[in-house]
Amino acid sequence: MNRKVGTTIALLLATSTVLAACGGNNNNGANESASPSPSASPAASSPASEAPASEKVEKFEVSLRHIQVGEAQKFRKAILDDIVDKVEAEIPGLEFELDGLQDSFNRFTKLPAEMAAGKPPKIFDLFGGPGDAIKYAKAGKLLDLTPIITELGIQDKFQGLSTFTYEGKVYGLPIGGSVEGLFYNKEIFAANGVNPPKTWDEFLAAAETLKSKGITPIASGSQAPWVPLMLVNTLIGRTAGPDAILGLADGTKKWTDADVVLAFSKYEELVKKGYLTKGELGLNYDQQRDEFLSGKAAMLFDGSWRSSLFSAGALGESLIGKVDFIALPSLADGKGDQTGLNTNFANGYGFSSDLNDNELKAVKSFIKEMYTEEIQVRGLLEDGVLPSMKVSPDSVNKVENELTKAALNVLASSASSFPHFDAVVPGEVYKEVENQIQKLAAGKVDAAGMGAAIQKVADATPAQ
Amino acid sequence: MQRTYKKALPHMVLIAYVAVILIPFAFVLLSSLKTNNVEISKSPFGLPESWRFLNYKETWLNAKINVYFWNSFYLSTIAAAVGVFLAAATAFALTRMKFKQISKAIYQFILIGMLIPGNVLFIAQYLLVSKMNILDTHWALFLPYTAGALPFSVLLISAFMRSLPSELEEAAIVDGLSSPMLFVKIILPLTIPALVTMFIINFLGNWNEFLLSNFFISTDKLKTLPTGLFSLRDAYASNYAQICTGIVISVAPVLIIYTILQEKIIEGLTAGGVKG
Amino acid sequence: MKNTLRNPYVYLLFIVPTITLYGLFFIWPMLTSAYYAFTDYVGLEGYHYVGFDNFDKAFGDPDFVASIKRNLIFIVFSVFIQVPLIIFFSLLISNVKKLQGFYKTTVFMPSILSTSVIGILWGYIYHPDIGLLNNILKIFGVDPVYWLAETRWPLPLLSILITNAWQWMGFYIVLILAAIFTIPKEINEAAEIDGATGMQKAVYLTVPLIKPIISVVIMLSIAGALRVVDIVLVMTNGGPAGETDVMASFMVNQSLTLGQYGYATAITMIIFAFALILTGLYQLSFGRQSERIEY
Repeated sequence: MNRKVGTTIALLLATSTVLAACGGNNNNGANESASPSPSASPAASSPASEAPASEKVEKFEVSLRHIQVGEAQKFRKAILDDIVDKVEAEIPGLEFELDGLQDSFNRFTKLPAEMAAGKPPKIFDLFGGPGDAIKYAKAGKLLDLTPIITELGIQDKFQGLSTFTYEGKVYGLPIGGSVEGLFYNKEIFAANGVNPPKTWDEFLAAAETLKSKGITPIASGSQAPWVPLMLVNTLIGRTAGPDAILGLADGTKKWTDADVVLAFSKYEELVKKGYLTKGELGLNYDQQRDEFLSGKAAMLFDGSWRSSLFSAGALGESLIGKVDFIALPSLADGKGDQTGLNTNFANGYGFSSDLNDNELKAVKSFIKEMYTEEIQVRGLLEDGVLPSMKVSPDSVNKVENELTKAALNVLASSASSFPHFDAVVPGEVYKEVENQIQKLAAGKVDAAGMGAAIQKVADATPAQ
Repeated sequence: MQRTYKKALPHMVLIAYVAVILIPFAFVLLSSLKTNNVEISKSPFGLPESWRFLNYKETWLNAKINVYFWNSFYLSTIAAAVGVFLAAATAFALTRMKFKQISKAIYQFILIGMLIPGNVLFIAQYLLVSKMNILDTHWALFLPYTAGALPFSVLLISAFMRSLPSELEEAAIVDGLSSPMLFVKIILPLTIPALVTMFIINFLGNWNEFLLSNFFISTDKLKTLPTGLFSLRDAYASNYAQICTGIVISVAPVLIIYTILQEKIIEGLTAGGVKG
Repeated sequence: MKNTLRNPYVYLLFIVPTITLYGLFFIWPMLTSAYYAFTDYVGLEGYHYVGFDNFDKAFGDPDFVASIKRNLIFIVFSVFIQVPLIIFFSLLISNVKKLQGFYKTTVFMPSILSTSVIGILWGYIYHPDIGLLNNILKIFGVDPVYWLAETRWPLPLLSILITNAWQWMGFYIVLILAAIFTIPKEINEAAEIDGATGMQKAVYLTVPLIKPIISVVIMLSIAGALRVVDIVLVMTNGGPAGETDVMASFMVNQSLTLGQYGYATAITMIIFAFALILTGLYQLSFGRQSERIEY
């Protein structure tokens, strides 16, 4: 009896140890072999072996981190896959190792950790601004792209590279951009006798009418604080003028200034009057979208990238032709240009400064293939992403998606633009804004209190 | 008459309590067989229109619960097994081998581990794992899980081994057995009850673990069940029927083990308080 | 011959792997935590020693202080609401003749499940549109309650407390049951002969006799209340607007989302200190009395 048990145990333990060893190996093996979902751990795999002469076709891998995961990003993923194929065909021996991560996880958790450890992927999704690209550029982690884009002749073709430029050198290239504005359901409006609002007062009146009819005026979901901050950002641009955002970044404007606080109180007004989805602090970005798509809510303040929802085969298919996109209505008590828009051209790709010859070749080819008019137009047509590079008017005319067209129109008819403050203010300040907007939405703080709390953190944060 | 009423009262209260425990499970089970949120909304308490066992297949395959399940299973089993084995070896060395002074010191040293609450080490472990370059691999879970099993297992197995008579070894030594063989052939078989209990406890602890597995692993196909279910919930928020199937799949193995081994589990977990 | 049990190589062989793993994942993190707590480490090189700055910042941070309060609320709820209920149910179960095993096994069951899965399960029960509770309320014509997103009064915190109680009460009930069963039957029988009613037996006999185990339950509850994190992260992630943040969830967000490792490790030190102090205090004041119970 004892013997049998003893042997069984010995066997069990032996098997487990072997399995454990295999498990460890399997893990590494699985990470390097092709898998149906293109995700591999950059930490476990190691990039290329040196191949000094290009006579022998030596295989090497280049890690590529992207954020095109999930249903909403499938069009961009398709474009990325095409680029990957093209570049692999061009550079013998090259194999890209794609690693797809959720946007905010990559931006705020994974990439910073990898930068700190000195081991970022070779090519990665990167945001511009002092909290991201500029920070890494200062620490010497990013490849200087100025010579490459000069060589390729595209250095003047970008709409704006300021968020990726440090000390005159370019460290990242934006992929495309967006504007933020108001989506509204034309059908619901018509059924309830509401006209698209041109002024803030009309906007409030429309919301009141809708609310009285049992329709949620504005779809909201503030569980992830960046979502409500889209509206807040545009409000600041309207109450304090288009230069206010940059002013907040360099300290010439304070979060406690009356015009900035006015923006907060405009948002507060929406909360107090009950125009936002009930229980919205517990709803995430997807649920906010669903509120609008299901017809429960009549309006949605969001980015123009949402236009891809309203195309064949996408989640908002049933609403095609029933939705329009306009700029935020003008504020009577606003300051400066009331057609001012939030435009974002701060998301793109960056490259590690730690590259060997082969990897550098791959990077150059990647940039060459990715940043072309053709790809820009594809992004525009297939995904509603506004071009970050200058494209010919003919291409623009090819757009069929109603909402992408509306976004382009809104962009064209606005006289000024401003960035999102998350791209220009220090990370600690941005986090405090996130903290405060949720408190504002919960009624725990008022507009003035919010401004004061943010300014306190801004004062304590060293200048960039 | 009054007597039976008095006798029934405690039962009524207890049945009510049991109902509070079981009804949420029943609700989840029922919902898992409905089509989607719309149907749940229409008839929350009613039987499903069509018993959608398809949901289970979909969750198992499309939502990749099978991957998460396998990851949880093999990680929990191996970490628990290795942990218990190492603990047993250490317990043997500490209680049966003749190094009394040092053993006492080492024993106290290991016991300190029981004082430390779970989350206190979390960040430091994260930084450590990150520096060891095993972040986002299964080693990042296997090593902490195995280490986590050690203090409590050493404690319990030592207690058990101490109760074994010391004459056992004497006879074996006379026969010419060396320590390792002594351990494997004599002591280990006798401590099996304690080993099995510890294995089950550690297995359950690993299977249920959320904090480390959620933050140390980001690649989807490496996730364990709790983490996988968590990301499932966010992705499928419009179809709670699917999420409920995920919950059922997650909970079923544990419940099965519990029904078979409840005495052992209760006994092990309540001895010496909660682990970790 | 006896030498084999003195064989240092074998001894080391059996000890070293355990000590290494243990040292690496318990002791080393403990030390580095204590170290980083006094620096401004954010994950990049070039961090500095900052003395007690992190601790000052923590106690000056209204959000963190609020999270301490919530842990205290957890403790108060566990000790003053859960424990009496636990004792009540234990007494009830120990008094019934039939179905004892059934009650015991059923109430214990939730405690062996993953806290995160329980969080997801109850998140569903609390769902404003399709959850179990709101559907029951709907039958009575009550408007949907925002169990986890209400901002006007601390309902989310209460909801989490209820879920937590639901999961863990059974565990402690079984613990106390075990102690009740060690009370010799003769004592009970003697009391009955003397004419004591069920109620009197419970209050004057059973409860005093199980004081040591009640003490253990209270200590474990305090330790548990300080450890709470999974359930908060899964159910509300500290929301809405940080209303359900506890020390540990606050710490997780500071470290992983914001990269404030120095600050966050200082917070873990604070949590550890709280745990030591509270359990120490409890041991000193109440623990000592219930050391030995003589029949």
